[in-house]
Amino acid sequence: MGGQRAQVIDEQQDRAAPPGAPVPAGPPPELVFKRRLRPLQVAHELWAARELVRALAERDLRARYKQAVLGFAWAVLTPLALCAIFTLVFHRAVKIETGAAPYTLFAYVGLIVWQFFSNTMNQGALSLANNLSLLNKVYCPREVFPLATMLVATVDMVIGIGVLGLMFLVFWTAPAATFLWALPLLAIQFAFTYGIALILSVAVVYLRDVRHLLPIITQMGVFATPVAYPLAKIPQRLQEIYVGINPLGAVIEGYRKALLYGDAPDARMTLIAAASSLVFLVGGYLVFKKLETGIADVA
Amino acid sequence: MSRDYPLGTIRTEQVWKRFRADQQRMLLRDRVDQMARRLRGDRGEDWRWALRDINLHIEPGESVGLIGSNGSGKSTLLKMLTRVMYPYAGVIDVRGRIGALIEIRAGIHPDLTGRENIYLFGALLGLKRREVAGRFDDIVEFARLGGAIDRQVKFYSSGMQMRLGFAVAAYLEPHVLLVDEVLAVGDAVFQQRCLDRMREVAEQGTTIVFVSHDLPAVQSICRRGVWLEQGTVRVDAGIKDALAGYRDSIEAQSEASARVGEPLQLLKYEVRGEDGDATTLHTDEPVTVELTLGGDYRGDATLHLGVSEGTSSPIFQISHEIRMTGGDHRVACVIPRLPLPRGRYTLWTGVYSIGRTDGGTLMSWHSAGQFDVFGPMLDTPPRAVVMAAPVFVPHQWED
Repeated sequence: MGGQRAQVIDEQQDRAAPPGAPVPAGPPPELVFKRRLRPLQVAHELWAARELVRALAERDLRARYKQAVLGFAWAVLTPLALCAIFTLVFHRAVKIETGAAPYTLFAYVGLIVWQFFSNTMNQGALSLANNLSLLNKVYCPREVFPLATMLVATVDMVIGIGVLGLMFLVFWTAPAATFLWALPLLAIQFAFTYGIALILSVAVVYLRDVRHLLPIITQMGVFATPVAYPLAKIPQRLQEIYVGINPLGAVIEGYRKALLYGDAPDARMTLIAAASSLVFLVGGYLVFKKLETGIADVA
Repeated sequence: MSRDYPLGTIRTEQVWKRFRADQQRMLLRDRVDQMARRLRGDRGEDWRWALRDINLHIEPGESVGLIGSNGSGKSTLLKMLTRVMYPYAGVIDVRGRIGALIEIRAGIHPDLTGRENIYLFGALLGLKRREVAGRFDDIVEFARLGGAIDRQVKFYSSGMQMRLGFAVAAYLEPHVLLVDEVLAVGDAVFQQRCLDRMREVAEQGTTIVFVSHDLPAVQSICRRGVWLEQGTVRVDAGIKDALAGYRDSIEAQSEASARVGEPLQLLKYEVRGEDGDATTLHTDEPVTVELTLGGDYRGDATLHLGVSEGTSSPIFQISHEIRMTGGDHRVACVIPRLPLPRGRYTLWTGVYSIGRTDGGTLMSWHSAGQFDVFGPMLDTPPRAVVMAAPVFVPHQWED
């Protein structure tokens, strides 16, 4: 390698390219570009882009509510409406048993998680495609775009949690003392959601069809995830596999236990969910970084 | 293993880039099709090299103009230097903060105000919030936005939108500044300000890579020129030599598309100086242009003669009435004091029948060839002037 560098320096002295110098037919195979990821460098770059994440999230929030008369109220109205429907259908008609907790609270906890996931997924999946004109001109670590949409969804979630607080007042109960268990569950929720958003965002750039899959995933997901019903409705022997595929099931169940029933989340299920979401996050990140290099070519 | 080059260095070593040349759509069924074909061992891919074996070494503080015709790979190379695009093979190393002077109008969010957009761009370009705040007034001043800054961007004129994005980029303080076709942005006054800003930045020691088809602008900013042709570096030399080579090739191409079947042809031309030698054309001295026309046409016609630098607009034009008699016709024009400074020029001719402004083309306006003039260099223009003044004026100073 050293010898090659020295040669480079020599060339610099007489830099006029020899006119008509023969160009080889193809590049030497050992020079073909390969994406190499250095975790430290990647982390550093992402940290350096934190202001950008904030600015992008701020842009989306401002733009979203600038035109809407009701503004931030929309962040609350959607889950509340769903919650009302669920209460009518699943509580009154189907008669789901929720034990000591009021069904409305039970469903709302699930809806907050689901709303966060589906917001991030739907917006995050389009986050690269909607910003292609920028991606073609400005360099920044591309994973900030899905990350910013997750930040927006987080703001909505915080508002939703505020409403949850009010609902505790309305139903005249208090969150159980075990509510701190929610924090590790939150980490699982974020990891899984971001992993999915990463994969989908880059998939949409390469395959436009994926865009049309999103509403289907959203519609099916809200029923395939224990939002309106408890995790126990899923047959016992399938629960572990289920949680491995959809960690949100264990996350929602865990929140309910911690907030409504005063129990610790099921350790086994939580660990499976944690492992699964880590796989989604790391796998999604690697897929994203691998495909990211070609975005400017196909866009 | 990697050497530490100083900030502002750009190196590319054996850089190759290719694009798909086959028809390719981004639909799922095409992918399925493609996968099926791949299973049968037929990749069905067709690639075209956009850049081949690019080796460039640019020192900190150098200003380099990238020139070449459309599709020669200039913008692709610039995108790879910005790190927006990745090479197929090779090493690209750009040291220090990279600033790209680009138009980010498409990224402007129409519902946000100008102020909000400026902060957003700043973040995109890697600036901290307080860094943007520190330059905020300069940016607004540069974009000439004034009171409109707190208005939503969708109510801006398109010119204002362009200037907004551009102004933020102009006030980065990068080690390397990459500029792609800025001169398409905004009106003449704004273009001038952009070029001034680039010169200012260059004087502060920033490395500049400038892509443009506006050759005089490139010449006024850059010291070194890299001429790309069909994805390879054709010439990498001083800006004058690179531009001269590029201009020559444009000439050669337009001459190649020769006009056939017109009533008159230019059989021969000669541009000669005082002692009858083409190599001794001197500024402010007599020059004779001699043309020989041939063709079947009989009658009166107007012969036009022009001189330009490169392919841009003519420096001067003169005309003369001639009478064609069906055979060869020789005509000479004497210019007693040639007003051209040192450089390479193009001679243009055309013949049109008299009394008709259209359809009377006997020999269409085309470049006949080039000639060199020896003489004094023009005095360097003041900093703000973009175009090199094309004419030599005999003059005397008195104090």
